[in-house]
Amino acid sequence: MSASATVHEPRGAGRALESVAAWTLGVLWILPLAYAVWTAFHPAEFSTRFVPGAPLTLDNFVKAWNAAPFARYFVNTVVLVTTILAAQLVLVTLAAYAFARYRFPGDDVAFALVLVQLMIMPDVLIVENYRTMTVLGIKDTILSIGLPYMASAFGIFLLRQTFKTVPRELDEAARVEGCSSLQTLWKVYVPLAKPTYVAYALVSVSYHWNNFLWPLIITESVESRPVTVGLQVFASTDQGIDWSIITAATLLTTGPLLVAFLLFQRQFVQSFMRAGIK
Amino acid sequence: MLSRRLRQLAAAAAAAAVPVLAAAQATVEVPFFYPIAVGGPITKIIDGFAADFEKENPGVKLKPIYTGSYQDSIAKALTSVKSGDPPVTSILLSTDMYTLIDEDAIVPFDDLVKTPEDKAWLAGFYPGFMENSRTGGKTWGIPFQRSTVVLYWNKEMFKEAGLDPNRPPATWQEQLDYAQKLTRRDASGKVTQWGLQIPSSGFPYWLFQGLAIQNGVNLMNAAGTETYYDRPEVIGALQYWVDLARKHRVHPEGIVEWGTTPKDFFERKMAMMWTTTGNLTNVKNNAKFDFGVAMLPAGKQRGSPTGGGNFYIFKKSTPAQREAAFKFIKWVTQPARAAQWSIDTGYVAVSQAAYDTPAMKKYVSEFPAAAVARDQLPYAKAELSTHDNQRVTKALNDGLQAALTGTKTPEAAMRDAQREAERLLRAHRR
Repeated sequence: MSASATVHEPRGAGRALESVAAWTLGVLWILPLAYAVWTAFHPAEFSTRFVPGAPLTLDNFVKAWNAAPFARYFVNTVVLVTTILAAQLVLVTLAAYAFARYRFPGDDVAFALVLVQLMIMPDVLIVENYRTMTVLGIKDTILSIGLPYMASAFGIFLLRQTFKTVPRELDEAARVEGCSSLQTLWKVYVPLAKPTYVAYALVSVSYHWNNFLWPLIITESVESRPVTVGLQVFASTDQGIDWSIITAATLLTTGPLLVAFLLFQRQFVQSFMRAGIK
Repeated sequence: MLSRRLRQLAAAAAAAAVPVLAAAQATVEVPFFYPIAVGGPITKIIDGFAADFEKENPGVKLKPIYTGSYQDSIAKALTSVKSGDPPVTSILLSTDMYTLIDEDAIVPFDDLVKTPEDKAWLAGFYPGFMENSRTGGKTWGIPFQRSTVVLYWNKEMFKEAGLDPNRPPATWQEQLDYAQKLTRRDASGKVTQWGLQIPSSGFPYWLFQGLAIQNGVNLMNAAGTETYYDRPEVIGALQYWVDLARKHRVHPEGIVEWGTTPKDFFERKMAMMWTTTGNLTNVKNNAKFDFGVAMLPAGKQRGSPTGGGNFYIFKKSTPAQREAAFKFIKWVTQPARAAQWSIDTGYVAVSQAAYDTPAMKKYVSEFPAAAVARDQLPYAKAELSTHDNQRVTKALNDGLQAALTGTKTPEAAMRDAQREAERLLRAHRR
């Protein structure tokens, strides 16, 4: 046991190589962000000239903020990601519980169908989803952006696997104590699956915070559009590109996510390790 | 949301109370896709157009919907067409015409043009812009925000290099000679200032088309069913471009980024650049030196492609909606309005009448660069547009970039591109 453990613990040259590789990847990953920070905080003349003493400014942020109704877009995005996440957590928990602990006619087929949904890129369904939203009469609302994503196959699959690892004995003990099915779910399964929930919530929130094409297509007004669609205002290539303002706007829109990640970094990393998502 | 519903309720109540009057004044709603994101000066101008038009035409509710870039807008328009809920009118790229026709999404303007007045209006647009708006004897698009490629040059650098700062290159040979004089190298041989920069990222075909037309041929036929990528003139045009970079070393090698080329110009990294007239206002505001704008230099002849967006009217709309949209399109392209739009945005005004308005004459006399695009229009040809446009154009883009980066010779690159285009277009020739 201990011998095999030491095999995986790199030493000497191996360890050095691993450190170099980790640092290289880390630096490559941080470079665009570092560039964005540099450019956003300096006047436009310095956007491609890296002089240490260059004057700092917040002008770019002011200009970016005033270029579009970003305050409204932020509210929309926050409402959007919270509604989606709330609906997902409820639906996913109930579905995963059923698939993990109940036998019913057609359960295998139903679960296979859920897995099939995992294989389909949501973008393929844009036309069909658009038609559905039009029929429902909710086009151009925040609900219409979120609705197609609320029954998440990924979430169902992930949580089902987690629920399956919960020992039957705990389930049975709860029943002996007089818990109903839903109470067992709430008191036994949900608390034990907390790391999975955290990991899943992170994936869901960051995905929907960044989603662009579907929100662009289904919305038409400022009242329902999220920040990603708002960012479009800077992409007009006919009029030239101003990197200072683009980077400032990018930092503004990704800022809340970055800050949240840094604050909860430890929990996130641990959850990912335990939930087995990479 | 709520106020709209209230308005609908009020309208319904009014309709119930005075049915005859209401029928005469029933509001026609005209959703209108405009390819820009919300915010910035252009949104304000378009909102202003809509408000003014509604004031003059009670009973029409023009609803601008801002749809992002041209690519995003065509994606959104096609999605809405396929879902059976398209806008009534939209501005999309003039080159999207064949795509929209193939999808059976739009109607020609010919059925709406009835009076002699309408006919005169339609005849007033520059023919160069109409090349991308007509096919099969019908008019499918109305030019609105159009552009061409022009050459911008830094007058200070011309002076430093001993050139006449007020005389831009007029021929390919001059362009090369000037670029050689304008390229500067430091002691180690590294270039500190390029002579010329022609962008090649994103849509290299558009700038390349200028070279090809100057060398004697356009890249496709008027029916949009044939391309001429492997004609000797086209290969020759590409050879000239590749030689600028790889043989004469007066143009950066590899792919030149479109979006940052104006920025490089402001930062004095090069002396001459090719880019759209749509950048005029940007350059005017940001160049901290004296600059000039000129027609593109001539090879065998002068030439540039046109570019930019047209109005389209969608098929799935009521006759009343079409009439209202048509009325708006006529209204917004009136000479005085077209002139003001051109002054505010830098796009080329779409008719001679617009250049004859007092406001435009005054603007041109103060800022002569604004007239260059107009003067170039007689030499302008249709932008590359065919059936299956996205893929046929991509074949050319890939070929151009392969030649510019040196992975293929110009000849091989253009032959491959032509073969691919042939394959795609065969189905449309029946």
